[in-house]
Parts: sequence; structure tokens; C-alpha cells
Amino acid sequence: MLEAGFFYLFAAMSVIGGMGVVLARNTMHSVMFLIFCFFNTAGLFFLLDAEFLGIILILIYVGAVMVLFMFVIMMLEVNKAKLKEGFLQYLPVGGVIALILLIELIAASSSGVFNTETIAAVGHFGKDVNNTVEIGKVLYTQYLLGFEIAAIILLVALVGAIVLTLRTRKDAKYQNISKQVNVRKEDRLRKVRM
Amino acid sequence: MGWLDMAITAGIWALEILAIAVPVALTVAYTTYIERRVIGIMQIRKGCNRVGPFGLLQPLADGLKLFLKETIIPTNANKLLFIAAPVMALVPALVAFAVVPFGETRLFGIWDEAHVMAVAHLNVGLLYVLAIGSLSIYGVLMAGWASNSKYALIGAVRATCQMISYEISMGFALVCVLMLAGSMDLAKIVDAQAGGFWHWYIIPLFPMFLVYFISGCAESNRTPFDLVEGEAEIVAGHIVEYSGMWFATFSLAEYGAMILISLLTCILFLGGWHAPIEALDFIPGTVWLLLKAAFFIFVFIWFRATFPRYRYDQMMRLGWKIFLPWTLGWVAVLGICTYAGELNHSLQFLSDMIGFYQPWRS
Amino acid sequence: MGAEYLANEYIPIFIFILVALGMGAAPLLITVFVAEQKPDREKLSAYECGFEAFEDARMHFDVRFYLVAILFVIFDLETAFLFPWAVVLDQIGMFGFIEMMLFLIILLVGYIYAWNKGALQWE
Repeated sequence: MLEAGFFYLFAAMSVIGGMGVVLARNTMHSVMFLIFCFFNTAGLFFLLDAEFLGIILILIYVGAVMVLFMFVIMMLEVNKAKLKEGFLQYLPVGGVIALILLIELIAASSSGVFNTETIAAVGHFGKDVNNTVEIGKVLYTQYLLGFEIAAIILLVALVGAIVLTLRTRKDAKYQNISKQVNVRKEDRLRKVRM
Repeated sequence: MGWLDMAITAGIWALEILAIAVPVALTVAYTTYIERRVIGIMQIRKGCNRVGPFGLLQPLADGLKLFLKETIIPTNANKLLFIAAPVMALVPALVAFAVVPFGETRLFGIWDEAHVMAVAHLNVGLLYVLAIGSLSIYGVLMAGWASNSKYALIGAVRATCQMISYEISMGFALVCVLMLAGSMDLAKIVDAQAGGFWHWYIIPLFPMFLVYFISGCAESNRTPFDLVEGEAEIVAGHIVEYSGMWFATFSLAEYGAMILISLLTCILFLGGWHAPIEALDFIPGTVWLLLKAAFFIFVFIWFRATFPRYRYDQMMRLGWKIFLPWTLGWVAVLGICTYAGELNHSLQFLSDMIGFYQPWRS
Repeated sequence: MGAEYLANEYIPIFIFILVALGMGAAPLLITVFVAEQKPDREKLSAYECGFEAFEDARMHFDVRFYLVAILFVIFDLETAFLFPWAVVLDQIGMFGFIEMMLFLIILLVGYIYAWNKGALQWE
């Protein structure tokens, strides 16, 4: 009963958070709502015994990805008048997508996957089952290929980010530390006979 | 379980939480006092000695004064986030203490088996501390953005970049601890270091200990990494628009983070609540842990009295170009040492050495 | 794990968050009521070393700051992969170790690339 109470609390809060993301006028407030939403989703993970996933959600999404989001939003010039300009232009396309999603959601929820009988069968693990260990056991053996592909995706992301954003400035003066350390008397000093 | 039982349990938990949160708050207050005294002694002057005997009431006087100061909310500020920022800074600093084990107790022999003295004894305690620690960025970032002031924004962006840079090397250093302990449960990590100081992880992981502690300094924005405040260039950075108690809340968070880092350094590398030699076990474990942590708090203050501030590019260089490869390399070194015996029999001594630190390996 | 573990360990954290919120908000509220409030226009304007504030404070930053944030996300993900690996290292043995070294080498390539391109360089 307590568990159900917490489930409804977290679920309702994450839905409210999600709605806040869309409805908030100020983009910064949207980010805050998204962070709030992630916290509640982490709570839902905890309720499912997936404590590792819950913590990782906070560590990666809230602790890292959202910082990047905030950085981008902080420095974008958000012009409210400009934001509203294209509203009517995008309305048909956006409306169609929303409608399709709605139909899909209704179809999925009425298909019987979410029947209470199927969900009720999922109970808690035994006391000795450690979520982290279980994930580790399958991730590094059974899902080896996916794991290595993740490394390559990360590599691509890293290279892509550097290619897209890095512009070396010509006017900036860099400090070359090894050059400074390796400097010798002969390089700088010139004896002049007077 | 009936409603009454639940209410009683919740009450006990609330007491437990207060038993940790209130001492933390008091320690924070007296750390400021000790900091002023210690730095005073190091600079051959007295430090605060007027209010009460030896100036011991100084933190109270400071607190009272801060309470009586006017609250300023700039007209241009984003009100909601400006108000939320100090709370957002303080909450992670406090909540992280939930998993810190302060020792093991049998409650004077009432319990048969030892219980870990922590509000929550999580299986993923280490990861929890890291995750909650990473949230402290938001207080800084929100304060900087909501103030709508140039200095505040520059300070916040700098601070964020600094904190995220050092979080990576911190994470890798913790992975090294995990490789030896084989568990993310903080109590198990401490137990794996039982039996004298030669079992402490500081010996095989000395470089990681340094990286962790220095990264901790950078994470909590303490000298020599306090260029976040940079009073000469960006006049206190993200907190420039805050006044009175609102300003002090950010300092509380900073000192809270400093105490947390000290405690965690002891737990992860210095055997937590275990005495250096078993003969000294008659002193309770909690006393040992607090003594060790007090030493690290002293080191924090010592740093502040000794080191000049880093320049920004030097600080980034240390994080990205020195700590990151160094910690990554150490992960590989530890792994190779673990499997050296299997690779070549003459390298067995390496595996034995690592095996010595791995009581939890089967 | 199990329901009992969940209740015993996570509910206290939930309560702790509420207590911490209270401890954070209470002093802020008290000081507003205790202290004398006398705001005026100058006092509430943004601090800019005594000058009148000019231009918008929300300025553009060097792209380097974004780059650091992106690199941080990537390396943080890498640590997230390392954590469960370090915990189960005993059980997956040599195979798991070599596999993780492969993972790290792939990312090391990226790291060296970033270093050579000067992405880690500040001036």
C-alpha cells in the first residue's frame, strides 16, 4: 500500500514535471521541470528494485546532460516575440504528429500489454539480489557487442563535438609548458662585449 | 504494519536524520571558527578571540548578525530561481550525508549483530554520494543565471566548468577503490580495510588518494581552486547579488561539502572507523573516523593558508591533462596487476600483492 | 533488494530530502521577517562595481565552455560503464578485463584526438 502510494506520488509528479517542461514560458523553468521529472523517474526506478539505474539516471542525466542543456539555454538569446512568430506555420505538422502519437498511445494502452494481470506478476527480488551485480554480469558478457558499440558511439560523439565546435583562435597566446621548462640559458641570453 | 507502527518508525527515522543533520550544521559553524583561528596562528596573529572564551561564541554572533541583515533581491533577477538557488545549493550538501556510515554499533550489546550507523545503508552508497555531489552544480548555476548580473554569470559558468572537469577524475579514482573492494556499499568498503593501517587503501592507491582529495578541493571550490570566487576579477562570482543569510547559505553548502569530502576520504582510503593498529580498538570507531576527518578538515584549512590561487588555464590543465590520464592509467594498472599471475607465472607476486587488499574476492 | 530493503533504506532518504529542504528554506524565511527591509532602487540594481549597469547581462560565452560540458557528458558516461564493471570484476574475470581495456582504448583514441586538436587547451 505504501509502495502504491509512492508510485502514484512519483508518477503524478513526473507527469506534472513533464507538462511543466512543455508549458513553462521561461526556458530555464522548463529545464528545472525536466530535472524534477528525472528525479521522480529515478524514484520510479527505485520502486522497481533498479537502484543502479535510478542512481545512474540522476548521475548522468541530472548531473551531466542537464548541465549541458542549461549551458546551451543560458547562452541562447531567447526572443519571446520571435518564438511565437512561426506558431501558425508549424501548427498543421505539429498537430498531425500529436494526433498520430495520441492514436498510438490509445492503441498501445488498449492492446492488453498494460493489463493489471501481467503487471501484478512482477514482484520484488529476493534480499540478496544486487541490481548492480546483476547488470554487470549480463552487460559485460551477454551484451558485449552492444557495450563495445557504445564505446564507438561515444568516440564518434567526442570527435563530432570537437569538429563542430572547436575553432582555434589565432590571436590567443598559448602557454607551452614543456617549452618553458626546457628553455636553457643559451636560448635567451646573449653576451655582448662592451 | 499498522498506521501506528509506521508513524513510530517514521519518527525514529526523523530523529536519526536530525541526529546527523544538526551536528553537521554545528560542525559547519565551528569549522568557520577553527578556520579563522588556525589561519590566524599560521599567519602569526590571534584570529577571533573576543566573543566568549577564546572567541568560541563567534559563530553564534556571526549567525545572529547574518540573520539581522537585509535581504536583497535585485529587480532584474529571476525571482523564482533566485530564491530557489540557495536551497538548491544546501540540499545536496546535506542529503549526501544520508549514506555516510559513521561506524558500527551493537548499541551497548543490545543488538546481536553490528548495525551500520547510517541513515540509509545503500548497496550503491558510493554512487549515491557521487550523484548527489554532482547536483551541487545547480545551486551555483542557478544563482549565477538568476541574478542577471555579469559577474554572477561569468562566475557561475567558470564554476560549473571547474566542477564538472574534476568530477571525471573523481569518478575514475572511485572506480579504482571499487576494483579493490568489489562493492559500492560504503560499509563494506570500510570493512575490506579492517585490520591495521597496512590494509588501508591509501597504500596501493596512494596516487588515487591524492587525486580524490585534490578533486574534492576543486569540487567544493576551496583554495587553491577558489577562482570561482575570484574577488579580484569577478567579485565573488555567482554569489555577488546575495546578502545576509542568503549569502551564508552558500557558504554553509561549501563547508558542508568540505566536511563530506573529508569523511569520504577517510572512509574510502583510510580505513573509516578502524583504528590504525588493532591494539587501539578500545577507542570507539566513530571517534577514530571523526578524528581522521578532523585532520582532513585541518588540511583543507592548511591549504587555504598556504597556497595561492590557481590560474584558470592551469586549473583546467590539471584536471583534464594530468588527473584524467593518470586515473585512467591506474585503472589499467590495477587490472593488469590483478591478472598478472594468470598471464605469466613469474608475475604472480603482483597478483598476490593486489590479492592482499581484496578480502572480498572469492 | 526486496520490498523491506526499499522501505528501510530509501524512505529515510526521502524524509532526509524533505528535512534538508526545510533546513535550507527556514533560515531564508526567518531572516526576511526578522531583519529590517528597506529596499530602494539603487540597492536593488545589479552590482557592477558602482557603475550603472549597461548592456544585457546574459552574454555569449566562448564555445570552449560548451565543449567542456560535452566532453564531460562523454567521460561521465564512461565512468558509469566502469562502475558495475569494477563491482563484478571478480565474476567476469580476465575476459571482462580485456573487454573493458578495449572499451577504454577506443575512448583513449578520442581523448588523444581531443588533446591533439587542442580541445583541452585553455589560454
